[in-house]
Amino acid sequence: MIIRHADKIKSPQRIQQSFETLGYICSDAIATAVYLACQLQKPILIEGPPGVGKTELAKKTAEYLNAELIRMQCYEGLDEAKALYEWKYGKQLLYTQLLKDQLGDVMRGAKGLDESVSRLHQFGDIFYSEEFLETRPLLQALKSDEGAILLIDEIDKADQEFEAFLLEMLSEYQVSIPEIGTIKAKSKPIVMLTSNNTRELGDALKRRCLHLYIPFPDPHLEQKIISSQVPELKADLREQLVNFVAELRELSLKKTPAVSETIDWARALLLLNVEELDRDFVANTLNLLLKFQEDIEQVTPELHQLLSDSKSSLRRAKKS
Amino acid sequence: MQKPLGDFIYALREHGLPVSPAESLDAMQAVRLIGIEHPLQLRSALGMTLAKTQEHLIVLETLFQQFFQLNDHTHLTSQNERADETNLAEAQEPHEPQAQAQESQPSDAATDPQSNDSTGAVVASPLGQQLMDNEQAALSVAIAAAGAQSGAQTMQAVTQQSQVTYRIMRKLGNEPLNQELLALSEDPEQNTRFIELKRRQQQLQQQAREYVEQQYLLFTLPKGKQLRTQNLQRVKLTNVDHHYQAQMGQLIQQAAKKLASLHSRRRKVSKRGLLDVRRTIAANAAFDGLLFHTKWKATRIERPKVLVLCDVSGSVSRVARFLLLFLHSLQDVLPKVRSFVFASDMGEVTELFERLTVEEALAEIMDRWANRPTDYGCALEDFKRLALNDIDPKTTVIMLGDARNNQSDGRSDIWQQVYQRSQRVLWLNPEGRFSWDSGDSIISEYAPYCSKVEPCNSLNDINRILNNLLKHG
Repeated sequence: MIIRHADKIKSPQRIQQSFETLGYICSDAIATAVYLACQLQKPILIEGPPGVGKTELAKKTAEYLNAELIRMQCYEGLDEAKALYEWKYGKQLLYTQLLKDQLGDVMRGAKGLDESVSRLHQFGDIFYSEEFLETRPLLQALKSDEGAILLIDEIDKADQEFEAFLLEMLSEYQVSIPEIGTIKAKSKPIVMLTSNNTRELGDALKRRCLHLYIPFPDPHLEQKIISSQVPELKADLREQLVNFVAELRELSLKKTPAVSETIDWARALLLLNVEELDRDFVANTLNLLLKFQEDIEQVTPELHQLLSDSKSSLRRAKKS
Repeated sequence: MQKPLGDFIYALREHGLPVSPAESLDAMQAVRLIGIEHPLQLRSALGMTLAKTQEHLIVLETLFQQFFQLNDHTHLTSQNERADETNLAEAQEPHEPQAQAQESQPSDAATDPQSNDSTGAVVASPLGQQLMDNEQAALSVAIAAAGAQSGAQTMQAVTQQSQVTYRIMRKLGNEPLNQELLALSEDPEQNTRFIELKRRQQQLQQQAREYVEQQYLLFTLPKGKQLRTQNLQRVKLTNVDHHYQAQMGQLIQQAAKKLASLHSRRRKVSKRGLLDVRRTIAANAAFDGLLFHTKWKATRIERPKVLVLCDVSGSVSRVARFLLLFLHSLQDVLPKVRSFVFASDMGEVTELFERLTVEEALAEIMDRWANRPTDYGCALEDFKRLALNDIDPKTTVIMLGDARNNQSDGRSDIWQQVYQRSQRVLWLNPEGRFSWDSGDSIISEYAPYCSKVEPCNSLNDINRILNNLLKHG
C-alpha cells in the first residue's frame, strides 16, 4: 500500500491539498493523522461529536488511494462470526450428504477400524478448508491483494469482548482461525475506527491506535467546507450562516448542530432563494439544524438576539 | 531529538498521562517522519501518539507550549540542538580550565591600548564572548545542559529555585565573567563596554531564572498534586477541606466511571429466546445433521438494578454531598439506578439527576429535602409507597445514612419487607463503628435486616464496597 502510493502520501500538505480537490476540507491535524497512519501503518481511532465527518474521512481516503473501502458497522452483540469469518454450514451439510456414497468407495477393502481411520485421515480437513470459509469484513480486509481501507464504525457500540478480539488484528494485522491457522495480511490495510464516546474504550485498544479527535471546525474552516459543498451560495450569506451556527453551538443544547447539519441548511437556503437570514425564515427552517423539539423551543425566543449577534460579528470581521 | 522528547514524555507522565513505552516509540517514529520544522504539525503528531483522551490532549497541548516555548523562536531552534546537549555539556567542561587560564589575560588586554579596537580580545572570558556575540541559541542550549546537571528537574520545593539558578550560572562560567567585569569597571575607558556586558549578564541571569521556573512547573508541581490525590482518597470525607472539594468531585466521577465500565457488561447465555438455526446446525454437523444440541440466540446483558437511599439531614450533611456526587456519577454510568433522598420526607431524585448538572441537582436537593429533622420512620413509609413494589429478587438496595432518628419510631418492619423482597441490602454508615448505637443512633434495629452494614467514610471505602456490589450483582 505504502509503496504503491509513495508519492500520494509524501507529506501531510500533499494529503491536505488532494483531499481539498476531492471536496473534503480538513485541518492540519487530520492530514497529519492520515499521513502518520499510512507511514507508520497504524490504525487511527477517530473520536468527535456526530456529524463532523469521521466516516467521511475513511471514504475519502479510500477514494484518494483508489483502494477498496470495507466497512464494518459495530453494534451490541457483534461477534466473530459476523466480523471475521464463518463456515458455510449449509454447503458443508450438503456436501457430506452427497459424498456419503464416495465414502463407501474409499473405505472399501480397509481391514479393521484402524486402517479405515488412517485412510480417512489422508483426506485431511476437507470440510474446514478455504472453500467452505465465508469471509466477513475483517478477513476480507486482510485478504485484499492491494490493501484496503477498513472502516470499523462506532466501535464504542460493540462489546468489550469484541474490542479485545480486535487487538491481534490491529497490532499484527493477522488473525487466527483454529481450523486453518494464522492468516496474515497480504498487504496491510489502513484501519480507521470511529467512536462516539458512548463508553470508554479500553486502554489496550487506545494504545495501539493513533488518536485523532475531530472537534467542530472553527468558523473559517467551516466556511471553506460550505463553499466546497455548496459552491453556489453567496459569500455573505455563507459567512452569516456559519456565524449563526457558531452562536448556536455556544448554547447548551441537547444536540449541537454539526457540520452535516450546516451543509443541509446551506442547501435549504439555496433552494429557497434566501437573500439574507431573517427571523421568520430561520424560525421555519430551524428543524434542519436542531433535532430535538426542546432545543427548538429553547432557541426560538432568542433568535432575534442570536441573529443580530451573528450579524455584528460579521460586520466586525469585515472592518478588521 | 531523543533527549528532549524523553524529557517531554517524562513531564507528561508527571502530569498524569499514562504514556507507555510502546507509545513513546510511536511518538519517536512519528517525529522522525514529521520533522520539527512545523511546530503545529509536530504538536498534533505528538498528540495523536501520546494522548488518548481529550483531557489528556489538552494537558499535552499546554505542556507542549510550555516545554518548547513556541513564542520564542530562538528557543525553538535550540531544541534541535538539544539533541547534542550531552555532548555539548561534556564539551563545555574542558573549556573551564581554559577559562581559568585566560583569566589573567583580561587585565593585560585591558591595559594594552592596542587591543582596544578589536572586541574579541577585550572580552576574554568565554561566557562574556558568547554574550557579546549574542549567541542566543548556544546560550539556551548551555542553560539547559547546565540545568540538567544542577538538578533543575529534580527540585522538591519552590524554595530551591534560586539555588538551582545560581548553580546554573556558575556552570555557565559566571565567575570568570564577574572578575572580568570587575577589571572593566576599574577602567574608565571601558565604561560603555562594561555597562553593555553587565546588562547582558543580567539578561542571561533572567533567562536562567525563567528556565528554572519553567522546569519547576513542568516537573515538580505535578508531583505535589499526585501526592494530594493519593491522600484525598484515603482521608475521611468529613474532613475534606472545602478547597479540595472540586478535585474530590473529579475523583469521585472517575471512580464511578471505572467501576461501572468494569462491571456493567456481563453476558450470560440463557436457555430461552430464539433458536439460533445457524449455530445449531454447526454444532450438530458432527451428528450427521441430527439436531442434538440446541443453541439459543438470546444473550442477556446483566446489569444490577440498584435503589439507593441517601440521608441528607444535618447530621450527615458533610458526607451527603459526596454520597450524592457519587450517586449522580453512578446513575450516569449504570442504567438501572434509582435514587432517593430524605431527611423526614423521602423523594425520588432519579429524574432530577438526569435533567440537571451535578451542581444544580445538589443545590436543589439541599434546598428541598435537607435542613429538616431526621425521621427514618416517615422516610421509610414514603419509600414503601414509592418503590416497595418495584423491588424484586434482583434488586440491590443501598442505604447511606447514620440511623440517628431523634428518638422516634424507626419502622424497621418496613426495612424487613425491603430485605425480604430484595436480593440484598447494604447499609453504609458514615460514622465509625465505635459511635454506632450511641446517642439516638438505632442502627442495631436495622442491622438484622441488612446483608451487610459497613462504615463508609472515605472514597476508598465507597470504591471497595461498590466494587463488591457490582462484582456479585
